[in-house]
Formats: sequence, C-alpha cells, structure tokens
Amino acid sequence: MKRIRRFLDLGNLRRFRAIVQLVTFVLLIYGAYFAIDLGSNMPVLSCGYDRQNGGMCYLLPLQHQLGRPLGMLFSMASIGILVGFVTFLLWFIVFNKAWCGFVCPLGTMQDWLTSLRKLFGIRYSSYNQTQFNRLKVIKYVLLVLLLLLPVAIGAGLIGGEWRAAFCQICPGRMITPLFVGDFSQWTIDFSSKTTMILTALGMVITGMFLAGSFVKKRFFCFFCPMSALQYSFSKFSILKLKKDGGKCTKCGDCYTVCDMQIKDIADDVQSRDILRDDCTLCMKCIAACPEEGCLQADIAGFTIFQSTKEGFSKRMQIDRPGGDDERA
Amino acid sequence: MNARNDHTIETPRERQGRHKAMEAVKVLDTLREYAVNPPEAMEYFYELHRRYHCDMTPMHEGKTKVGTMCIQVPYEVIDALGAAPVRLCNGFYTDDEIGGEYLPSKSCPLVKATVGAFATDHFADAPDLVVTPTTCDQKTKATGIVEEMGYPVYEMEFPRVKESEESREYWRRSVRNFTKTLSKELKTKLTRRKLKASIQKVGYAQTLYHRLSALRKAELPPISGNDMFLVTNAFFFDKTEAWSAAVERLLIEMEARVKEGIGAARKRSPRIVYTGSPPIFPNLKVPQLIEMADAVIVADESCSSNRLFNDMVSVDEWFLYDMVDAVADRYLKGCTCPVFTRNDDRIRRIVELVKEFSADGVVYQAFAGCQVYEMEQRSVLAAMEKEGIPILYLESDYSPSQLGQLTTRVEAFVESLKSRKRRQ
Repeated sequence: MKRIRRFLDLGNLRRFRAIVQLVTFVLLIYGAYFAIDLGSNMPVLSCGYDRQNGGMCYLLPLQHQLGRPLGMLFSMASIGILVGFVTFLLWFIVFNKAWCGFVCPLGTMQDWLTSLRKLFGIRYSSYNQTQFNRLKVIKYVLLVLLLLLPVAIGAGLIGGEWRAAFCQICPGRMITPLFVGDFSQWTIDFSSKTTMILTALGMVITGMFLAGSFVKKRFFCFFCPMSALQYSFSKFSILKLKKDGGKCTKCGDCYTVCDMQIKDIADDVQSRDILRDDCTLCMKCIAACPEEGCLQADIAGFTIFQSTKEGFSKRMQIDRPGGDDERA
Repeated sequence: MNARNDHTIETPRERQGRHKAMEAVKVLDTLREYAVNPPEAMEYFYELHRRYHCDMTPMHEGKTKVGTMCIQVPYEVIDALGAAPVRLCNGFYTDDEIGGEYLPSKSCPLVKATVGAFATDHFADAPDLVVTPTTCDQKTKATGIVEEMGYPVYEMEFPRVKESEESREYWRRSVRNFTKTLSKELKTKLTRRKLKASIQKVGYAQTLYHRLSALRKAELPPISGNDMFLVTNAFFFDKTEAWSAAVERLLIEMEARVKEGIGAARKRSPRIVYTGSPPIFPNLKVPQLIEMADAVIVADESCSSNRLFNDMVSVDEWFLYDMVDAVADRYLKGCTCPVFTRNDDRIRRIVELVKEFSADGVVYQAFAGCQVYEMEQRSVLAAMEKEGIPILYLESDYSPSQLGQLTTRVEAFVESLKSRKRRQ
C-alpha cells in the first residue's frame, strides 16, 4: 500500500495528463470510427457538429430540449430532459472538473497551442487580478443566456434562429469538425440577420480562441459556460480537490503554475474544499506544492494524488542537481 | 597574532579579530563539551566556522562577492551570474559594540553588529557589492550608513504587505531590476541554462535541509538544535556545493542514528520549537541555554534557519523571466517575517511546527531593539495560549551580561515542561 501511495505521489503528472488527454481526444473526436458512442450528455465541449464524435457536449441537446413550446416543456414529455440531465450529472459527479483538465477536447487543443508557444520560446501572458475578476463573470452570463434563450424561443418571444445560439458562437463548432476533415462550419450563415451575426461572431471568437490560447494558457476556459454549469454541481462530486490550510505556507507555488490564475489556491487557508469555479482540476497545483500533504485529490475519500516534498523535488528536477536541461 | 608584522602592541583591528575569535571558539567549545553523542559529520561545520570566523579564511577567492543584508536577496540570481552570495547578518558582540557608535544604543544588535563589521571592514569575504532589501526599518536605515562608509550599495525595494497582487508585482519588478543591474555590473548575461542550474542547486540544498529536518521528528532527535543552527548558518557563507556535500554526509550519519535510536538528547528532554529573532553565529546564547537546560530544539521558525530553506522555487515554464519571477515569489509569498503588516502566517507556521514535531513548548526570543519581533510577541503568546501550547518569551541581546537571569527563566520553563510531561 505504501509503495502504491509513493508511486502515485511521485508520478509524472505532466506525462500522465498528456496521455489521458490524447486518448480521450481520439475517443471523443473520432469515436464513431471505432463504433464508440458515449452519448450526447458529456460534460465537456466535444462538439456534435463533428459527425464522427464518440460522445458529445451536453450543451447542444440542452439548448434544443429547453427550446420546446412551454406547454410541452412543463409536461411529462420533459422526462427525457431529466434523463439527459441525470446522465450528465452522473458523468460529472465522478470526475468533477477533471473533465476540463483531462478530457475536454477544446481544453486539450488549448494545451497543444500552449506547447506550440513554448516551442517558439514565447512567454505566456496573464491577466491582472482586476481583469481576472471581471472576466470570470462572463461564463455565468453565457450560462444564463444559454438557458434563457431557448425558453424564450419556446415562449414565442424570439425567433427560432436563436436556437442553440451558444453553439453558433462556440469555437468548438468550427474547430472540432476540422479534425475529421469537415470544413463546412467555416461559413457565415446568411439565412437571416440573426444567424449572420451569430455565425460571424463565431468566426471572430474562433479566431480569438486560436490567437488567445496561443498567448494565454487556457484562454477560453475563463468564458466557458460548461465550466459554470459544472461548478454549480461540483459540491456533489466524489472527486475533490482538498487543502490542509495548516500545512500551507502561502508560498504561492501552486498559484504560479495555475493555468487559470486561481489565487485562492495559495491564499485561502480556511477552505478544505479548495475547488473554485475556474478550476480545471488539472492538478498542476498539487504537483507544484512542496508541502507534505497540503494539497490532495480525493476520490470518495481515497487520496489518489497528493503533494509531497519528494514528488516536488523529482518533478522540479532538483533531486539531481546539474541534471538534464530539457524544456519541461 | 600576525608574526610577520613588527607590532608588539596589538592594533585595534587585531584586537577585534582576537575578540571575535574568542567569541566564536567559546561557542564551538561549549557546543562540543555539552553535546550528547556528538555526530562525526558535524566536524566539517565546526571547522568551517572556526576557519571563517577565527582564521578569517576567505571562501570565495577570485569571485565577485555580493553581500546580502537580509534573507530576501535572491540567492539563485546571484549564483547564476557567477558571483558568490555572502549573507552579512552578523552575530558578534564585538561588532555589536563597534556598531553602537553608529546606531542608537537601543537599536537591534544584529543590525548594530552588521554595521560594526562594515565600520571596521572586518570580513573574511569582504563584499564587492552590498545588496540591502528594504525589509525592516533598521536595515533600511543602515543602508545609508553603510553607503556613507564607502561601500557600493544596491537597494532592493521590498513591499510590507504581501497578500496583494500589487505587492507581488512590485517585488517581481524589484527582482527583475536587480537581475538586470547585477548582470550589467558583473558584465555577464543571465541565461536560461545558468539560472535553471542555480535554481536546481539551491533547491537541492533545500531538499537536503528538509530531509535533515524531517529526521528531527523522531522520538529521539538525532541532531541538536544548536548543531542545526551551525549547519544552516554555514549556508550564509559556504560554497553551496561544499555545503550540500557536507549535509549529505551528515544525513547518512543521522539516518543511521535514527535507525539505531541514538539521539542528541535524552528521551525525557522537552522538545522545543524556537522562534523569533534569528540566532546568528556566534550568538547562539539562547539556543545554548535551552539545550544546556536539558531541552532539545526540534524545529525553528527563524530567518537564519527554517525560513532560509523552507519555501522552494516552483517554475511552470522554464523561460528566463518565468524563472526570475518564480524566484521572486519564493522570497515574498512564503515569508513569515514580522515586517509585514499582518502575521497570521507566522502563527500558523509555529502551531504547525509544534504539531508536526510533537513539541512540548515554544521559546520566543526577541532581540532588545528588534521592534517587529517585540511588537508581535503578544499576538503570538495569545495564539499559543489558545492552542494550549506553553511558550516562553525572552528579550535578549548579544551581551553576555544577563546570562544569569536568562538561565533561570529558561531552566524554570524547561522544568515546567518536564513536570507537565510527567503528568500526561
């Protein structure tokens, strides 16, 4: 048991994550080729516009389902919606926001863009705290719109062209199909003024996604309504990011490596459950923490990964001074 | 002392050297004499301190020496630029008295002693450049005095609040400026490879310290607190590689001791967490009193030891300025120095150390004149009381005069811990 514990704690998280991300990327983008279908209630941005997907984003069906006429929405027919939602929740409560950090293809693509930037030797940019606090609101605004717009369609308040409005502007719609050679989404839909604006906006946002993620780590995740939706239920999840405040020296190492610039991870010494809405549960903070057992990831109370001094030394390559000089 | 000179009468400088050597030798001899099971690998450190402080043997000949006036000066950057960082915080009473000519008599003995060494230019490794961060008032003001004495001084601006992003950015800027200036001064370019190597080198030294520290959790701590202070104080001036090699040897011996159940104290010796003004060689007055009274220091919270090594640099992307920023963070974010506005972190740290090292009590030393530690004692005492941790607050300085009174108080405290232990 002790040996397993040590093996896990000393693990090369970077490599493990890269492998998981690659495998899940192939699974979600190309799943259909292997006759794999995980359904349409996945808690990740794996777009349904990619016809070969092996499981798709819950936001698309959710918008469609909510867009029913009101009478139907509040009838027994909506049991289907409930089933979809429960499936989404079941997926989610097992892995919590690790879906973002380990599975989401859109997240993975951003990490790849980050690697590309590193290859060019360009340093990442970051937000200051004021910008950060302003930006983090956007995903909730998007989530509310995402839920309200379909209902408004159902109530007859706005036209049907607003259907799945978020998907029209989501960069996933344009980028994921590219991987199966489908460029059909790279068009502006001129069928109505609304669709024209939405698809044009989609183009702009996709451009921003590509450029933004190149300079800023996990650029899009700050705005992702899926992230906001997930966070609303993350308290129920069995996978937890926990912190022992007593052991924390507030050295900020975790904060420094956090792709999402979550300051609380370093400064909050009161919360036991340290998962914040922007967190992608990538666990980089745990890997970067030099205090024994200060940060840990628990699944149903069982610790799967925790910070240790030894693990820190190994990952920072300080257990062998003058060691290799690879670009980690 | 110096046979080649024709002086028959000792010059003031020679006398200063002799007095300092006497102070140093006395401490080393007392430590040797009272040590319970003295470790063999400690000889390196005893000898090192003797050579550096008594023989005034330079450690970094041929290198530019960057004198640092406080713990906050980024060691990694200096090392990466090919210079030798030498910490100038001083523990000599002889120098303290000389420094008294330049500073008010009520000021901190550490600052007085440091200024005293400058006044007489009495260094084994005289600094080519002095770097002073604006940490406490007295060090900040000492900057001007040292500059007037003709030393080239570089001021590093240090914030007094560490929670805000603004101060983090401010300090990062200070460190970047320092890096650029020093690089120009030394006519060396800081490269990614060199800085990474330095971060790893210092990081490795820190890892060794952590491993050594962890052994002190044993029921019988294998090394005394005073020996530990000798080890950590040696890092002020020793070559990092040599220091690490010596600690590696010490570690092997200590690990064997833990296995065999050999300790540097008795089983019943109360375990102490030491905190407050830093014990800097040869001013190990209070730590010596504690251990001579049959207690053992198992951990400490001071900038000459634990705080010097604890927080480590963590880098996400190994680019030059990402590393510089990460280095900057290490010196600000985790620091528990009482110069900051609030100091809850220090209290949490002490409590955690008491728990982690199963300590029986805390000894809090404040140098008379060291305002920040003096001002804070009440809050720390209150916090310890809340946690039910016995604590002794002592005010001391570098003079040998109040030893009697201090001894009585320390002995009484240790006795009370012992009887408390018996009752449990």
